[in-house]
Amino acid sequence: MEHDLVLVIDDEPQIRRVVRNAVEAGIGKVIEASTGRAGIDLAAAERPSLIILDLGLPDVDGADVCRSIRAWSAAPIVVLSARGSVNEKAALLDAGADDYIAKPFSTIELQARVRAQLRRARLAPAAVPAHVLEIDGASIDLAKPSVKRDGVAAHLTKTEWQLLRTLIQNAGRTMTHRQLFHAVWGNSHGDMQQYLRVHIRSIRRKIERDPVRPRIIVTEPGVGYRFENELPP
Amino acid sequence: MRIRSSSRWFVWTVSFAALTGVTAAMVAVRDRLNAAHVALAYLIVVQLASVRGGRALGLSLAVTSFLAFNWFFLPPYGTFAIANPIDWFVLVAFLMTSIIAAELLYRAQALGAERERLEATTRRARSLEETNRSKDAVLAAVSHDLRTPLTTIKGLAHEIADAGDERAEIIEEEADRLNAFVGKLLDFSRVTMGTAALDVQPNEAEDLLGAAAQQVQGRLDGHPLVLHVEPSDGMLFGGFDFVQTLRVLVNLIDNASKYSPAGAPIEVGARRRDSSLEFWVADRGSGIAESERQRIFEPFYRRPGEALNVAGAGLGLSIARGIAEAQRGTVTLAAREGGGSVFTLTVPAIDLDATSSGDES
Repeated sequence: MEHDLVLVIDDEPQIRRVVRNAVEAGIGKVIEASTGRAGIDLAAAERPSLIILDLGLPDVDGADVCRSIRAWSAAPIVVLSARGSVNEKAALLDAGADDYIAKPFSTIELQARVRAQLRRARLAPAAVPAHVLEIDGASIDLAKPSVKRDGVAAHLTKTEWQLLRTLIQNAGRTMTHRQLFHAVWGNSHGDMQQYLRVHIRSIRRKIERDPVRPRIIVTEPGVGYRFENELPP
Repeated sequence: MRIRSSSRWFVWTVSFAALTGVTAAMVAVRDRLNAAHVALAYLIVVQLASVRGGRALGLSLAVTSFLAFNWFFLPPYGTFAIANPIDWFVLVAFLMTSIIAAELLYRAQALGAERERLEATTRRARSLEETNRSKDAVLAAVSHDLRTPLTTIKGLAHEIADAGDERAEIIEEEADRLNAFVGKLLDFSRVTMGTAALDVQPNEAEDLLGAAAQQVQGRLDGHPLVLHVEPSDGMLFGGFDFVQTLRVLVNLIDNASKYSPAGAPIEVGARRRDSSLEFWVADRGSGIAESERQRIFEPFYRRPGEALNVAGAGLGLSIARGIAEAQRGTVTLAAREGGGSVFTLTVPAIDLDATSSGDES
C-alpha cells in the first residue's frame, strides 16, 4: 500500500539507495537515517509502519536500537546484516526485531519480506484467531481446543497446546528457542533445547502432512521455529 | 629445575671446591672450633649448593661433608672411628639436617617451577584465545566489506534488469556466485584456523533432515529427494551443532545432485548405529575410485578430468570433515551397492531419558 511509511536506518548511502528503490517500487514511501541515534529520533517523530535497520552502525549497537524502538513502538523491524551468524540473528529477534535478512539479499527477497511484515502488522497483534485455522490439511481450533489432520482428531498434551498457541499467536514470525521456552515453561530449567525438540517433533507428527518435510511449523536453523501463516504454492 | 649440562658441571666443581676450601680453612684453626661451628659451616655450603645445583648435588655434598666432618674434626682425627659416643649424635644430626634441608629446598623449587609452567600455559591459552578472537574479527570485517558492495551490485543490477537489460541478470547471478565463494572461503578459514565456534546441543534427526530438504528445495535439477528415518517411530537424538551440521548435509546433497545422472533420485537418511547417529546421502553417480576416496576430502582437490566450473571451490568436503571432527564425528565415503556413492556423516548419539520432555501435564 502506497501510504506505508518505511524508515531505513543505514550508514551506507549506496545500500540506502538500493533499499529505497526496492521499497518505493510499489510498497511505500521511504525516509532515511544514517545513524542509530537519528534513526531512533526519526522513528519517534514520524511513526513509520516498518523499520529497516542495517547492523554495524557506527554509533549504536543494532540490538540496542531494536530494544529502544521496541520499548514504545510495535512497528515491525527488519534487520539487514552482512555477518549472517545465527547467534546474531537470535540475539536480534530476542531484542525485538521481526525479521533478519543476510546481505547480499535480492531486491525480490527484500520486497517479499517487507510486504509479509507489513501484512502481519496489520492483523490484530497476538490475538487468538476466533475462527478455526485451516492450513495444509490441518484444522486447528485454539478456542476449543482441538486439532484435526485430514479430518482425523489428534490429541495434544497441555505443553504441546501452549507451544502451538505461542507459535500461532506469532504466525509468520520466527520465535527464538529462548522466546518459545520462556512462553511455554516460564523459567529456564532443564534442557531447553531438548524439551523443545521433543515437543516440536510431536506436534509435527500430529498436524503435518509429512512430519519429515514440515510445511506448517518450519525450522529456522539455529534460531527457532516459525508457524507459517501463508504457505508457498 | 633443568639446568644445561655445561653449567651443571660448573656448579658441581665450584661446590666441591668450596667444600674443600672450607674444610682446609677449618682444619687450620681446628683447635679453636667445636662441633657446632663445623656443622654450621658445612650446612651453609650444602644449602647454597642445593639452591644452585639441585637435589643430587645437595645430597652428594651432605654425604661428603658428613665423611669430612668425621675424618677431620671428630677425634681421633684422620680416622672414621669416633671416640666420644655423643659425637655420633652430632654427626647423624648434621647428616639428617642437611639431607632434609636439601630435600625441602628441592620441593620448594619444584613447586615454583610447576607454578611457573602453569602460568605459562595459562598465558599461552589466553593469547591463543585473543588471537582467535582477533582472527574472527578480521573474518567478520572481511565478510562485511565484501558483502556490502555485493548487496549494492545486486540491487542496482536488479534495477537495470527491470529497465529491460537482460545482461543485468547475469551480473546478479555472478554476484551470488561470488558471495557463495566468499562464504565457503570464510567457512574454510574458520575451520582450518580452529576459530569455528560450534554450538553443540541435543538435536533431533528429523528436524535436521526437514531443514535440509527445505534448503535444497528447487535446486536439485529435477532429482527427487527421498528421505528415510530409521526407526520411523523412534526419536533420534544426537549432540551436534545444528547449523554447521545442516551445512555439511546440504553440501553432500548438492554434490550428489551435481554428479547424478538426470532424474536419478538422491536418498538421504538418518539412523542410530551403536553410540553414533548417522546421516547418509546416497547417489547413483559414477562412483569414486578407491584411490580417490581420501583425497577428495583435501581442500581444493579436483577430480581428474573435472571441468573447472563443476564443483565450485573444491572446499565443501574439507569443510565437512573439519566440522564433523570438531564435534567428535566423522565423514566417510563408501561405494554404493548397484553403483554410486554413499557419504556418511556421524555425530555422537544421545539417549533420551523418561524425564526428557519437561512435560508437566
